[in-house]
Amino acid sequence: MSRRGAAAGSQTALREANKGLVVGTVQRYGGLTQVELAAATGLSQATVSTIVRELLAAGVVETAVTTRSGRRAQLVTLARRVGLAVGVQVGHRHLRVALGDFAHEVVAEQALPLPYEHPSDTTLDRAALLVMEMLERIGSDLEEVVGIGVGVPAPVDTDTGMVSVPGVMRGWEGEHLGQVLTKRLGRPVHVDNDANLGALAEATLGAARGYRDAVYVRASYGTGAGIVISGQVHRGFAGTAGEIGHVQVDPTGHICRCGSRGCLDTVVGATALVEPLRATHGSLALRDVIARTRQGDPGFVRVVADAGAAIGAVVAGLGTAVNPQCVVVGGELSETGEVLLGPLRESVRRGVLPNQIAPLEVVPAQLGQRAEVMGALVLALRAADVPVRAPEDVLLDGDGAGAGVRDGEG
Amino acid sequence: MTDGSRVPLLSMRGVSKRFGGVEALVGVDLDVHRHEVVALVGDNGAGKSTLAKTVAGVLTPDTGLVEIEGVPVSIPTPAAAHALGVATVFQDLALCDNLDVTSNLFLGRELRDARGVRDDERMEQMARRILHDLTSRIPSVRVPLASLSAGQRQSVAIARTLIGDPRIVVLDEPTAALSVAQTAEVLLHIEALRDLGLGVILISHNMTDVRSVADRIEVLRHGRNNGSFDARTTGYEQILAAITGALRPDGPRSPAAARS
Repeated sequence: MSRRGAAAGSQTALREANKGLVVGTVQRYGGLTQVELAAATGLSQATVSTIVRELLAAGVVETAVTTRSGRRAQLVTLARRVGLAVGVQVGHRHLRVALGDFAHEVVAEQALPLPYEHPSDTTLDRAALLVMEMLERIGSDLEEVVGIGVGVPAPVDTDTGMVSVPGVMRGWEGEHLGQVLTKRLGRPVHVDNDANLGALAEATLGAARGYRDAVYVRASYGTGAGIVISGQVHRGFAGTAGEIGHVQVDPTGHICRCGSRGCLDTVVGATALVEPLRATHGSLALRDVIARTRQGDPGFVRVVADAGAAIGAVVAGLGTAVNPQCVVVGGELSETGEVLLGPLRESVRRGVLPNQIAPLEVVPAQLGQRAEVMGALVLALRAADVPVRAPEDVLLDGDGAGAGVRDGEG
Repeated sequence: MTDGSRVPLLSMRGVSKRFGGVEALVGVDLDVHRHEVVALVGDNGAGKSTLAKTVAGVLTPDTGLVEIEGVPVSIPTPAAAHALGVATVFQDLALCDNLDVTSNLFLGRELRDARGVRDDERMEQMARRILHDLTSRIPSVRVPLASLSAGQRQSVAIARTLIGDPRIVVLDEPTAALSVAQTAEVLLHIEALRDLGLGVILISHNMTDVRSVADRIEVLRHGRNNGSFDARTTGYEQILAAITGALRPDGPRSPAAARS
């Protein structure tokens, strides 16, 4: 094991390692009580208490009184002076920006409707301006921002910050998206696929918290999935892991933006959903489909239910490959609740091998429509430097439960 | 959404208006449905504001037919427009800086109780509800208007249109001179109006804003219709071509069709 400036095996070295573990765990979860910290790190209550006292004295963490199960507890968070992070979610028809502190608390949030096929230069320009305006709104400035996470509805090569598949997001190809934003804002920018970020958020803060293996499905203008394996988001070699929107479901179907025929997106993408309803209802937006479905309009309910079944059949394949403990469903279409989720769950149940250990749960995203932007925030926070860092080689617990600290994004 | 089978909220046919030697509007057609945002776009002098003023009762057309929910109407004054369920926000916003948010919302249309006394409590309740329906970011309805930002003032102006339960709202350049965050608020308001079931006529030079919230884009050129486009599927270049005249679209609302 590596050590930072202390003799191997010494008490000091161990203490430093434990301090790093505590700080890393607090950062990962945003805020934990001392009891939870002990459970997550595997350290004794006494050790946690001593370390927290030291970190408090050093100004690295803050404590506050809170309640857990009706009892008073000490909540430990990273001191706010450590900074803010920015989460940017680029959608097909909207932009969402969130400013968050190190306790994952959102301190400012704004959504902006966008046009069809909005180009990257205009949108990133406006995103930068929006970030500046929001910082001003909370009385802060760029100096306090430790990093910016950006989610886009396309597969991303996270090393270069470029969309890694041609044709799926016109006007956003061939650009180092992170660099474009860094040039404007002068802060580190990290870019990833929006479904991956949704998975990151739900695994850290939401419905998949505590699970080692999970799948997040984003049912939106296009469909995507984020895959969590052993507590880490699995992106794959070029970042296209989880692009379920481009699994073929109809060999004789329409040609997709990606160039293939009969992709899932050509059947359940926003354009495909509104098409069968055009004859009776004229031109529709995705928001109309969701609103009318929630009102119980039978034609719309049918369209969404069929979409759920189609998505579920593809997710079942993912379930067989990954063997997740749960499937978390988000994206605009998930606002229709059980209309989408019921058939989706049934399709998954029919297509995945059942096991003796636990049933595969299919649940709605706990963070709702904010999952992706929260994931962008978490991405930025994870990538930020923290005063005491966890050693790179701290291993996961044997059963992988709890914190499992690793440097960098998860 | 545009529901072709339903009677439009507003239907204008062959509307013309001349000012001396200037033909501001020449045989213009326009339909607006419930749950729909129709954007009116075009160069300066294309006739957008003139058409809006016709709907608002500020101007009377020389010729043409106007129907509201299938009933032929005339709109000789702004009061008549208001009575017909048409609310308008022009660029000057028409708000009073020294009054608070509630007073501005009800300016000229104050609610009174059975004895004829101003019902401040009910007005304040309604003010809060309307701002909430519009997902507005104004924290208190008691602050004077002067202390609000440009975007918040625009919110109040739009909220004011909802007093009196209108069917149609006309917005003339609502995002002009606004920051990105303020523009975002206004665009979200427009989406809220649409979700509430109103028909919205949006006039704007800003093609990005227009294409962000509109269902349909109506292009005017030199006072005439020059194209009708589905905002969700039409690219910027095509609309720009219609605005500048590089493209003369053939369709029910083009000069070519009008002549035949």
